[in-house]
Amino acid sequence: MDEAFEKRLPKPEDLNAMTEECLKAAFAGESQAAEKYMVFAEQAAEEGFPNIAKLFRAVSFAETRHARNHLRVMKGVNSTADNLAAAFGGESFEIDEMYPAYGEIAKVQNNTQASRSIRYAVKAEMDHKWMYSEARDKALNGQDIDTKPVSVCLICGHTVIGDVPDKCPVCAAAKEYYKTF
Amino acid sequence: MADPYKNTPPAPEDKGAMTAENLAAALAGESQASQKYLAFADVADAEGYPNVARLFRAVAYAESTHARNHLSVLGGIGTTAENLKAAWGGETFEIDEMYPAYDAVAKLQENKSAQTSISYALKAEMDHQGIYDSTLKGVEGQKDLDETPVYVCPICGHTVVGGKAPAYCTQCGTTAEFFKEF
Repeated sequence: MDEAFEKRLPKPEDLNAMTEECLKAAFAGESQAAEKYMVFAEQAAEEGFPNIAKLFRAVSFAETRHARNHLRVMKGVNSTADNLAAAFGGESFEIDEMYPAYGEIAKVQNNTQASRSIRYAVKAEMDHKWMYSEARDKALNGQDIDTKPVSVCLICGHTVIGDVPDKCPVCAAAKEYYKTF
Repeated sequence: MADPYKNTPPAPEDKGAMTAENLAAALAGESQASQKYLAFADVADAEGYPNVARLFRAVAYAESTHARNHLSVLGGIGTTAENLKAAWGGETFEIDEMYPAYDAVAKLQENKSAQTSISYALKAEMDHQGIYDSTLKGVEGQKDLDETPVYVCPICGHTVVGGKAPAYCTQCGTTAEFFKEF
Protein backbone atom coordinates (compact mmCIF):
# COMPACT_ATOMS: atom_id res chain seq x y z
CA MET A 1 0.00 0.00 0.00
CA ASP A 2 1.60 3.30 -0.97
CA GLU A 3 1.20 6.47 1.01
CA ALA A 4 -1.16 8.25 -1.39
CA PHE A 5 -3.47 5.25 -1.25
CA GLU A 6 -3.21 4.87 2.52
CA LYS A 7 -4.04 8.56 3.00
CA ARG A 8 -7.43 8.18 1.36
CA LEU A 9 -8.67 5.38 3.60
CA PRO A 10 -10.85 6.09 6.66
CA LYS A 11 -8.51 6.38 9.66
CA PRO A 12 -8.44 4.58 13.00
CA GLU A 13 -10.43 6.60 15.52
CA ASP A 14 -11.29 6.63 19.23
CA LEU A 15 -14.88 5.47 18.98
CA ASN A 16 -17.82 5.87 21.30
CA ALA A 17 -19.25 2.55 22.42
CA MET A 18 -22.47 2.75 20.38
CA THR A 19 -20.71 3.77 17.17
CA GLU A 20 -18.23 0.95 17.72
CA GLU A 21 -21.10 -1.52 18.06
CA CYS A 22 -22.58 -0.25 14.82
CA LEU A 23 -19.29 -0.66 12.97
CA LYS A 24 -18.81 -4.15 14.40
CA ALA A 25 -22.21 -5.18 13.09
CA ALA A 26 -21.48 -3.54 9.73
CA PHE A 27 -18.14 -5.37 9.55
CA ALA A 28 -19.96 -8.67 10.18
CA GLY A 29 -22.53 -7.84 7.48
CA GLU A 30 -19.99 -6.80 4.83
CA SER A 31 -17.82 -9.86 5.53
CA GLN A 32 -20.75 -12.22 5.07
CA ALA A 33 -21.93 -10.43 1.93
CA ALA A 34 -18.43 -10.76 0.43
CA GLU A 35 -18.34 -14.50 1.14
CA LYS A 36 -21.87 -15.12 -0.13
CA TYR A 37 -21.21 -13.29 -3.39
CA MET A 38 -18.12 -15.45 -4.07
CA VAL A 39 -20.27 -18.57 -3.63
CA PHE A 40 -23.01 -17.05 -5.80
CA ALA A 41 -20.33 -16.37 -8.46
CA GLU A 42 -19.47 -20.08 -8.62
CA GLN A 43 -23.15 -20.95 -8.91
CA ALA A 44 -23.62 -18.43 -11.76
CA ALA A 45 -20.58 -19.86 -13.61
CA GLU A 46 -22.04 -23.37 -13.29
CA GLU A 47 -25.39 -22.20 -14.68
CA GLY A 48 -23.67 -20.68 -17.74
CA PHE A 49 -23.76 -17.01 -16.69
CA PRO A 50 -20.02 -16.12 -16.81
CA ASN A 51 -20.66 -12.38 -16.77
CA ILE A 52 -22.95 -12.54 -13.75
CA ALA A 53 -20.23 -14.62 -12.09
CA LYS A 54 -17.82 -11.78 -12.81
CA LEU A 55 -20.28 -9.23 -11.44
CA PHE A 56 -20.62 -11.20 -8.17
CA ARG A 57 -16.82 -11.34 -7.84
CA ALA A 58 -16.53 -7.59 -8.45
CA VAL A 59 -19.22 -6.72 -5.91
CA SER A 60 -17.66 -9.16 -3.45
CA PHE A 61 -14.41 -7.19 -3.83
CA ALA A 62 -16.32 -3.94 -3.14
CA GLU A 63 -17.70 -5.46 0.09
CA THR A 64 -14.18 -6.48 1.14
CA ARG A 65 -13.20 -2.79 0.77
CA HIS A 66 -16.02 -1.83 3.15
CA ALA A 67 -15.07 -4.58 5.60
CA ARG A 68 -11.45 -3.37 5.57
CA ASN A 69 -12.51 0.27 6.05
CA HIS A 70 -14.73 -0.55 9.04
CA LEU A 71 -12.01 -2.75 10.56
CA ARG A 72 -9.40 0.01 10.19
CA VAL A 73 -11.62 2.59 11.87
CA MET A 74 -12.09 0.14 14.78
CA LYS A 75 -8.25 -0.14 15.07
CA GLY A 76 -8.41 -3.79 14.03
CA VAL A 77 -5.52 -3.54 11.53
CA ASN A 78 -2.12 -3.30 13.24
CA SER A 79 1.48 -4.46 12.77
CA THR A 80 1.98 -7.94 11.33
CA ALA A 81 3.22 -9.32 14.68
CA ASP A 82 0.06 -7.99 16.38
CA ASN A 83 -2.16 -9.18 13.52
CA LEU A 84 -0.69 -12.69 13.85
CA ALA A 85 -1.40 -12.63 17.60
CA ALA A 86 -5.02 -11.57 16.94
CA ALA A 87 -5.39 -14.29 14.29
CA PHE A 88 -3.94 -16.89 16.69
CA GLY A 89 -6.42 -15.78 19.36
CA GLY A 90 -9.37 -16.12 17.00
CA GLU A 91 -8.35 -19.61 15.90
CA SER A 92 -7.80 -20.69 19.53
CA PHE A 93 -11.29 -19.54 20.53
CA GLU A 94 -12.85 -21.48 17.65
CA ILE A 95 -10.86 -24.64 18.51
CA ASP A 96 -11.22 -24.51 22.30
CA GLU A 97 -14.75 -23.22 22.67
CA MET A 98 -16.88 -22.35 19.68
CA TYR A 99 -16.72 -25.41 17.45
CA PRO A 100 -16.68 -28.03 20.26
CA ALA A 101 -19.87 -26.46 21.66
CA TYR A 102 -21.53 -26.26 18.22
CA GLY A 103 -20.37 -29.82 17.44
CA GLU A 104 -22.03 -31.20 20.60
CA ILE A 105 -25.34 -29.53 19.81
CA ALA A 106 -25.32 -30.72 16.18
CA LYS A 107 -24.71 -34.28 17.49
CA VAL A 108 -27.56 -34.06 20.01
CA GLN A 109 -29.82 -32.86 17.21
CA ASN A 110 -28.62 -35.57 14.77
CA ASN A 111 -27.74 -32.97 12.14
CA THR A 112 -25.09 -34.93 10.22
CA GLN A 113 -24.31 -32.36 7.51
CA ALA A 114 -23.93 -29.64 10.11
CA SER A 115 -21.60 -31.95 12.08
CA ARG A 116 -19.52 -32.45 8.97
CA SER A 117 -19.32 -28.72 8.21
CA ILE A 118 -18.25 -28.06 11.82
CA ARG A 119 -15.69 -30.91 11.88
CA TYR A 120 -14.08 -29.73 8.62
CA ALA A 121 -13.72 -26.24 10.06
CA VAL A 122 -12.31 -27.17 13.46
CA LYS A 123 -9.69 -29.50 11.90
CA ALA A 124 -8.43 -26.74 9.61
CA GLU A 125 -8.37 -24.15 12.41
CA MET A 126 -5.89 -26.44 14.19
CA ASP A 127 -3.56 -26.20 11.17
CA HIS A 128 -3.93 -22.42 11.14
CA LYS A 129 -3.27 -22.01 14.85
CA TRP A 130 0.24 -23.43 14.81
CA MET A 131 1.11 -21.78 11.48
CA TYR A 132 0.21 -18.42 12.97
CA SER A 133 2.11 -19.21 16.14
CA GLU A 134 5.32 -20.02 14.21
CA ALA A 135 4.92 -17.02 11.93
CA ARG A 136 4.49 -14.72 14.93
CA ASP A 137 7.72 -15.97 16.56
CA LYS A 138 9.55 -15.09 13.35
CA ALA A 139 7.84 -11.73 12.85
CA LEU A 140 8.81 -10.69 16.38
CA ASN A 141 12.43 -11.12 15.24
CA GLY A 142 11.76 -9.20 12.03
CA GLN A 143 11.85 -12.43 9.95
CA ASP A 144 9.48 -13.55 7.20
CA ILE A 145 8.39 -17.23 7.03
CA ASP A 146 10.01 -19.31 4.25
CA THR A 147 8.89 -19.51 0.64
CA LYS A 148 7.32 -23.01 0.68
CA PRO A 149 3.90 -23.23 -1.01
CA VAL A 150 0.79 -23.11 1.17
CA SER A 151 -2.05 -25.28 -0.17
CA VAL A 152 -5.71 -25.40 0.83
CA CYS A 153 -8.28 -28.18 0.23
CA LEU A 154 -11.20 -26.50 -1.48
CA ILE A 155 -13.71 -28.87 0.11
CA CYS A 156 -12.78 -28.69 3.80
CA GLY A 157 -10.12 -25.97 4.08
CA HIS A 158 -7.34 -28.33 5.23
CA THR A 159 -4.18 -26.24 5.03
CA VAL A 160 -0.69 -27.61 4.43
CA ILE A 161 2.73 -25.96 4.06
CA GLY A 162 5.00 -27.79 1.58
CA ASP A 163 4.00 -30.97 -0.33
CA VAL A 164 0.32 -31.62 -1.05
CA PRO A 165 -0.87 -35.07 0.16
CA ASP A 166 -2.35 -37.57 -2.38
CA LYS A 167 -5.66 -37.20 -0.62
CA CYS A 168 -6.90 -34.80 2.01
CA PRO A 169 -6.40 -36.36 5.49
CA VAL A 170 -9.58 -34.65 6.73
CA CYS A 171 -12.16 -35.12 3.96
CA ALA A 172 -10.38 -37.52 1.54
CA ALA A 173 -10.66 -35.19 -1.48
CA ALA A 174 -8.03 -35.93 -4.16
CA LYS A 175 -4.85 -33.87 -4.68
CA GLU A 176 -6.39 -31.90 -7.58
CA TYR A 177 -8.81 -30.32 -5.12
CA TYR A 178 -6.03 -28.33 -3.46
CA LYS A 179 -5.45 -24.69 -4.31
CA THR A 180 -1.84 -23.54 -3.92
CA PHE A 181 -0.78 -20.07 -2.77
CA MET B 1 -16.51 -45.71 -11.68
CA ALA B 2 -16.86 -43.11 -8.96
CA ASP B 3 -13.61 -41.48 -7.87
CA PRO B 4 -13.07 -42.61 -4.26
CA TYR B 5 -11.22 -39.34 -3.58
CA LYS B 6 -13.95 -37.12 -4.95
CA ASN B 7 -15.77 -35.17 -2.32
CA THR B 8 -18.45 -32.50 -2.21
CA PRO B 9 -19.25 -29.80 0.32
CA PRO B 10 -21.75 -30.62 3.11
CA ALA B 11 -25.33 -30.53 1.81
CA PRO B 12 -28.48 -28.68 2.98
CA GLU B 13 -30.46 -30.57 5.66
CA ASP B 14 -33.41 -30.02 8.04
CA LYS B 15 -31.80 -28.68 11.19
CA GLY B 16 -32.70 -28.19 14.80
CA ALA B 17 -33.22 -24.49 15.56
CA MET B 18 -30.16 -24.38 17.84
CA THR B 19 -27.95 -25.96 15.20
CA ALA B 20 -29.22 -23.49 12.60
CA GLU B 21 -28.40 -20.61 14.95
CA ASN B 22 -24.94 -21.97 15.58
CA LEU B 23 -24.19 -22.38 11.89
CA ALA B 24 -25.35 -18.81 11.27
CA ALA B 25 -22.95 -17.62 13.98
CA ALA B 26 -20.15 -19.77 12.53
CA LEU B 27 -20.82 -18.33 9.05
CA ALA B 28 -20.46 -14.82 10.54
CA GLY B 29 -17.23 -15.83 12.33
CA GLU B 30 -15.61 -17.48 9.30
CA SER B 31 -16.56 -14.58 7.02
CA GLN B 32 -15.03 -12.04 9.38
CA ALA B 33 -11.88 -14.13 9.86
CA SER B 34 -11.46 -14.34 6.10
CA GLN B 35 -11.83 -10.57 5.68
CA LYS B 36 -9.45 -9.82 8.54
CA TYR B 37 -6.78 -12.10 7.09
CA LEU B 38 -7.05 -10.39 3.69
CA ALA B 39 -6.52 -6.99 5.37
CA PHE B 40 -3.64 -8.46 7.41
CA ALA B 41 -2.06 -9.80 4.18
CA ASP B 42 -1.88 -6.25 2.77
CA VAL B 43 -0.13 -5.05 5.94
CA ALA B 44 2.35 -7.96 5.80
CA ASP B 45 3.18 -7.05 2.18
CA ALA B 46 3.68 -3.41 3.12
CA GLU B 47 5.97 -4.39 6.01
CA GLY B 48 8.14 -6.64 3.76
CA TYR B 49 6.78 -10.06 4.79
CA PRO B 50 5.60 -11.42 1.39
CA ASN B 51 5.43 -15.03 2.65
CA VAL B 52 3.39 -14.15 5.73
CA ALA B 53 1.12 -12.25 3.32
CA ARG B 54 0.78 -15.42 1.26
CA LEU B 55 -0.02 -17.46 4.38
CA PHE B 56 -2.75 -14.97 5.36
CA ARG B 57 -4.28 -15.18 1.85
CA ALA B 58 -4.21 -18.98 1.90
CA VAL B 59 -5.84 -19.16 5.32
CA ALA B 60 -8.42 -16.54 4.26
CA TYR B 61 -9.28 -18.89 1.39
CA ALA B 62 -9.60 -21.81 3.84
CA GLU B 63 -12.03 -19.75 5.95
CA SER B 64 -14.00 -19.01 2.78
CA THR B 65 -14.43 -22.75 2.18
CA HIS B 66 -15.82 -23.07 5.73
CA ALA B 67 -18.16 -20.13 5.18
CA ARG B 68 -19.38 -21.78 1.96
CA ASN B 69 -19.89 -25.14 3.71
CA HIS B 70 -21.93 -23.58 6.53
CA LEU B 71 -23.95 -21.53 4.01
CA SER B 72 -24.62 -24.70 2.02
CA VAL B 73 -25.91 -26.61 5.09
CA LEU B 74 -28.05 -23.57 5.95
CA GLY B 75 -29.67 -23.84 2.49
CA GLY B 76 -28.34 -20.40 1.54
CA ILE B 77 -27.14 -21.33 -1.96
CA GLY B 78 -29.92 -21.19 -4.53
CA THR B 79 -30.18 -20.75 -8.29
CA THR B 80 -28.62 -17.61 -9.75
CA ALA B 81 -32.04 -15.94 -9.94
CA GLU B 82 -32.65 -16.74 -6.25
CA ASN B 83 -29.13 -15.64 -5.33
CA LEU B 84 -29.62 -12.30 -7.11
CA LYS B 85 -32.88 -11.78 -5.20
CA ALA B 86 -31.17 -12.56 -1.89
CA ALA B 87 -28.28 -10.23 -2.77
CA TRP B 88 -30.71 -7.45 -3.75
CA GLY B 89 -32.56 -7.95 -0.46
CA GLY B 90 -29.35 -7.66 1.56
CA GLU B 91 -28.31 -4.46 -0.22
CA THR B 92 -31.79 -3.00 0.23
CA PHE B 93 -31.75 -3.65 3.98
CA GLU B 94 -28.36 -1.95 4.28
CA ILE B 95 -29.52 1.07 2.27
CA ASP B 96 -32.96 1.51 3.85
CA GLU B 97 -32.24 0.61 7.44
CA MET B 98 -28.81 -0.42 8.59
CA TYR B 99 -26.49 2.30 7.32
CA PRO B 100 -28.87 5.25 7.86
CA ALA B 101 -29.32 4.13 11.49
CA TYR B 102 -25.58 3.65 12.04
CA ASP B 103 -24.82 6.95 10.34
CA ALA B 104 -27.21 8.79 12.68
CA VAL B 105 -25.42 7.29 15.71
CA ALA B 106 -21.94 8.12 14.35
CA LYS B 107 -23.06 11.70 13.63
CA LEU B 108 -24.57 12.09 17.09
CA GLN B 109 -21.31 10.85 18.61
CA GLU B 110 -19.17 12.93 16.21
CA ASN B 111 -17.10 9.93 15.12
CA LYS B 112 -15.78 11.28 11.83
CA SER B 113 -13.84 8.31 10.44
CA ALA B 114 -16.78 6.07 11.23
CA GLN B 115 -19.05 8.41 9.23
CA THR B 116 -16.67 8.25 6.27
CA SER B 117 -16.54 4.46 6.38
CA ILE B 118 -20.34 4.25 6.63
CA SER B 119 -21.01 6.74 3.83
CA TYR B 120 -18.54 5.01 1.46
CA ALA B 121 -20.35 1.71 2.05
CA LEU B 122 -23.87 3.13 1.78
CA LYS B 123 -23.20 4.80 -1.58
CA ALA B 124 -21.65 1.66 -3.07
CA GLU B 125 -24.59 -0.48 -1.87
CA MET B 126 -26.83 1.80 -3.93
CA ASP B 127 -24.75 0.94 -7.02
CA HIS B 128 -25.07 -2.76 -6.19
CA GLN B 129 -28.81 -2.64 -5.60
CA GLY B 130 -29.40 -1.12 -9.06
CA ILE B 131 -27.00 -3.52 -10.79
CA TYR B 132 -28.53 -6.61 -9.13
CA ASP B 133 -32.03 -5.42 -10.02
CA SER B 134 -31.31 -5.05 -13.75
CA THR B 135 -29.25 -8.26 -13.79
CA LEU B 136 -32.12 -10.23 -12.24
CA LYS B 137 -34.48 -9.02 -14.99
CA GLY B 138 -32.05 -10.43 -17.56
CA VAL B 139 -31.73 -13.78 -15.79
CA GLU B 140 -35.49 -14.17 -15.58
CA GLY B 141 -35.32 -14.18 -19.41
CA GLN B 142 -32.34 -16.62 -19.33
CA LYS B 143 -29.98 -13.79 -20.31
CA ASP B 144 -26.44 -13.33 -18.97
CA LEU B 145 -25.07 -9.84 -18.35
CA ASP B 146 -23.29 -8.21 -21.30
CA GLU B 147 -19.60 -8.96 -21.52
CA THR B 148 -18.55 -5.54 -20.24
CA PRO B 149 -15.91 -4.69 -17.63
CA VAL B 150 -16.92 -4.04 -14.02
CA TYR B 151 -14.80 -1.45 -12.15
CA VAL B 152 -14.47 -1.21 -8.38
CA CYS B 153 -12.82 1.61 -6.42
CA PRO B 154 -10.40 -0.02 -3.93
CA ILE B 155 -10.90 2.80 -1.43
CA CYS B 156 -14.67 3.10 -1.16
CA GLY B 157 -16.07 0.19 -3.20
CA HIS B 158 -17.88 2.40 -5.76
CA THR B 159 -18.91 -0.01 -8.55
CA VAL B 160 -19.40 0.82 -12.24
CA VAL B 161 -20.55 -1.55 -15.00
CA GLY B 162 -19.39 -0.97 -18.58
CA GLY B 163 -17.45 1.76 -20.39
CA LYS B 164 -14.05 2.91 -19.15
CA ALA B 165 -12.90 3.31 -15.58
CA PRO B 166 -14.00 6.80 -14.48
CA ALA B 167 -11.23 9.45 -14.42
CA TYR B 168 -11.77 9.70 -10.69
CA CYS B 169 -14.12 8.08 -8.21
CA THR B 170 -17.33 10.09 -7.93
CA GLN B 171 -17.73 8.98 -4.29
CA CYS B 172 -14.25 9.41 -2.78
CA GLY B 173 -12.14 11.19 -5.43
CA THR B 174 -9.66 8.36 -6.01
CA THR B 175 -8.10 8.49 -9.50
CA ALA B 176 -8.69 6.00 -12.35
CA GLU B 177 -5.45 4.02 -12.02
CA PHE B 178 -6.51 2.70 -8.62
CA PHE B 179 -9.74 1.17 -9.92
CA LYS B 180 -9.73 -2.62 -10.10
CA GLU B 181 -11.21 -4.09 -13.28
CA PHE B 182 -13.12 -7.38 -13.36
